[in-house]
Amino acid sequence: MEKRTNSPYPRIDRPVLAVVGVLLVISTVLFARNDREHEWRWYQAEFKRLVAEKFGPDKAKTVPTGLQQIWIPSMAKADRCVTCHQALGWKGFETADEPFRTHPAEILKSHPPETFGCTSCHGGQGWAIDAGPAHGPIEHWNEPLLGKQLGSEYSLVDNKAALMQMNCNVCHRYERETKGADAINHAKKLVQEKGCRGCHVVNGRGGTIGPDLTYVGDKEAEQYEYGRLSGQKTSFAWHVAHFKDPRSLVTETVMPNFNFGTKDAQALAMLVLSWKKSPVPAAFIPGVPHSEPQTEQEKADEERMKTGPGGWFVKTGCFVCHSISALGVKSPAQIGPDLSTAVEDVQSRFGRTLDDFLREPTGTMSVVLSRQIILTPEEKAVAISKLREAYAEHEKQKATAAKADKQAAPVAARH
Amino acid sequence: MAFPFLSFLKRSQGPEAPGVHPQPFWSFRPRSDRESGDAIVSNFALHMFPAKVSRASLAWKYSFWLGTGSAALFLLLILSGGPLLFLYVPSVERAYASIKDIEYVVTFGSWLRSVHRVGAHLMVVVVALHLVRVFLTGAYKNGVGQGQKREWNWVIGVFLLLFTLLLSFTGYLLPWDQLAFWAVTVGTNIAASIPFVGPQVRELLIGGRAIDQPTLIRFYVLHIVVLPIAVGALFAYHMWRVRKDGGLAAVDKEARENELQEAPASSTKTYTLLGIARGTSPVIKATSISRLDKMVNAVPDLVRRANLVTLATIALISILATFVRSPLEEPANPLVTPNPAKAPWYFLWLQEIVTDTTIKIGSFTVNGAFVGGVVLPGLLVTLLILWPWLDRSPKEAAGVWFARARRRQNLVFLLLCAFVLTLTFVGTVMRGPYWHIYWPWEAWPDIPGRL
Repeated sequence: MEKRTNSPYPRIDRPVLAVVGVLLVISTVLFARNDREHEWRWYQAEFKRLVAEKFGPDKAKTVPTGLQQIWIPSMAKADRCVTCHQALGWKGFETADEPFRTHPAEILKSHPPETFGCTSCHGGQGWAIDAGPAHGPIEHWNEPLLGKQLGSEYSLVDNKAALMQMNCNVCHRYERETKGADAINHAKKLVQEKGCRGCHVVNGRGGTIGPDLTYVGDKEAEQYEYGRLSGQKTSFAWHVAHFKDPRSLVTETVMPNFNFGTKDAQALAMLVLSWKKSPVPAAFIPGVPHSEPQTEQEKADEERMKTGPGGWFVKTGCFVCHSISALGVKSPAQIGPDLSTAVEDVQSRFGRTLDDFLREPTGTMSVVLSRQIILTPEEKAVAISKLREAYAEHEKQKATAAKADKQAAPVAARH
Repeated sequence: MAFPFLSFLKRSQGPEAPGVHPQPFWSFRPRSDRESGDAIVSNFALHMFPAKVSRASLAWKYSFWLGTGSAALFLLLILSGGPLLFLYVPSVERAYASIKDIEYVVTFGSWLRSVHRVGAHLMVVVVALHLVRVFLTGAYKNGVGQGQKREWNWVIGVFLLLFTLLLSFTGYLLPWDQLAFWAVTVGTNIAASIPFVGPQVRELLIGGRAIDQPTLIRFYVLHIVVLPIAVGALFAYHMWRVRKDGGLAAVDKEARENELQEAPASSTKTYTLLGIARGTSPVIKATSISRLDKMVNAVPDLVRRANLVTLATIALISILATFVRSPLEEPANPLVTPNPAKAPWYFLWLQEIVTDTTIKIGSFTVNGAFVGGVVLPGLLVTLLILWPWLDRSPKEAAGVWFARARRRQNLVFLLLCAFVLTLTFVGTVMRGPYWHIYWPWEAWPDIPGRL
């Protein structure tokens, strides 16, 4: 190439460019490798191999590859645990090592992962895809995996895996006893026996000497006073020590010392830490009425109508829309006309007899009688006879009322 | 045409205006003088740069290319911010989760976010260093050229630094974690200490009385639209002024040393295509140093170095980003203050001054936020802006590192820098829980956790 410039710079810049070029290549290799290198790739390959070994290569082909997640929008959860724990729903890996072990099937029947995810029970960080950040404990993530490892660190008495029961109780908090949550059940029994509610409000009930404990699990770790606590500085450790001897942590407390043993104190600590306002859909919480309950008055009225002369209309469901006032049936909705005068009313509205109309209804009634209240011809005959009865009753009442009016009129005139 | 597949862009029909290049793209292998001329006219680098630049102003040792580095970082931040725009959700409910997704499952997401974060922090550093370099070389001073207004370019530069800080600060809130929430709490509370209008200023900044969705959307729009456009526009003007001022101040030094004369006004020089097309042109007086042995062609020498600096910046940031993971703390929680709660590091010298000027007399507290957060930085910025007019040194001091005539002001400036750096160090490294001082070798007390 011709020499275009007398500049000395190309000579100086060439080695600089070489260095920068090498750096660029290095950086590309580095970030591409960093992004690709994750342990889940190995676990997925290994699980495929295990499936192939046990069930043959065809079955192994059905094992999905790549990042997997269970997405629960209602709880804003995306649990990627299943990326490594692929054996979750596979039969035949019950005794394998984690993460290749089958999940105990019994609990999954009532708690399907696609509804509840993984972390709502097990804890841990569902967003993460590496064991370290996913299982914790890790900085900036306060909910480590509630497994045996953490339980051992706290030297839990009996069941080392009991910490997970805290998460059971986030939903099951209103139950006296929850199957499988022995530690929590034990603690709930202690709450009753020791009369905690004498001083503390729990779930809206109790005394006011001590603080309300309904949502004490939401109290931040830093809001406890650790000055007199030796060892681990955690909310859990604080509560265990406090249950064992309240005055050792808070000198001026009036809470009596119940002489709880380690097991009791640990169970109670788990219980109180589970009392959280958690973003759990209401439908997930057992023991909470999921319907608007009827009032006692409404229930009594319905019972009375059922046994009265118009009981037939209550049992079939006609009364949902229609009152039959002559027979003492009052519809809660009263969308349709009162059926006491149906004999006359149908004739004037549709120009057809009641028998004819019921045999081949039109309009709304054709929809209701073909989908919701399906009556056999015999039942229709009963309906017609009952409606005639109601009409007769209605006429009778009208006559009586007219007579009463006549008698009452002079009285009214005098005023 | 260099790109045959782009041939549809070629305007081949109709008479071509003389001098107006007919192709939107230029040829890399010109076959005629016309084609090489076209290549020059339609080349962005040549629009931006003069045809020839002085050798001295290209030296690594004079400018350290910090301005180019800042521009490269700005480019890199736009490039890395683009994909993040598609991934991030500016909503209080979803922002945190979207960052978790970027960190864990988006391909190259973690690296991308780190590039953006490391780049942003480095941009603050590099822009500040650029300012230091310009001060120490007296490059805001006018030299021998005519029509120079370097002092105004300095003012633009100061605003570019402020906008850089604001860009970084607005980006700080977006992850909606504890770090973000409390850094912005500290920052906006300092603004609230302005007398009389403080609370209103804070309300305007955060869109209400508490940091919430209105704050997030304000900071988001400022971060992705308003401030980048402001920085882009100021940057363009900054560059244009550099050319109008006859290049870097090093050129003036060289011109003086060579006792070069100002070139007579040229009647043929033109900055517009119109001038070429019509043969007319405004007469422009320019400082021209025509000693060819001191000049090199902008293409390739200047362009190559600018590209080198850009590539080196990209390489450096990219490598740093693979090692420095961007933190994401707990989700923002207005009820729990982290201990200690700190402003972003570049404001920590201010937070430190706020602490040190807060005086407690018995139960009565004189809040230092006004002194440390408003008066002092306001004074420093005003002083920075006004300094070119206060600096009475002779014009020979322009473009000279540590000029003798400017020795005293350089010393004071460096002392101020050292003061800011020291306080930044204390605030960043030494302030621990309860804002107590901890030496680097002292362990901070354990922060309690839930489990």
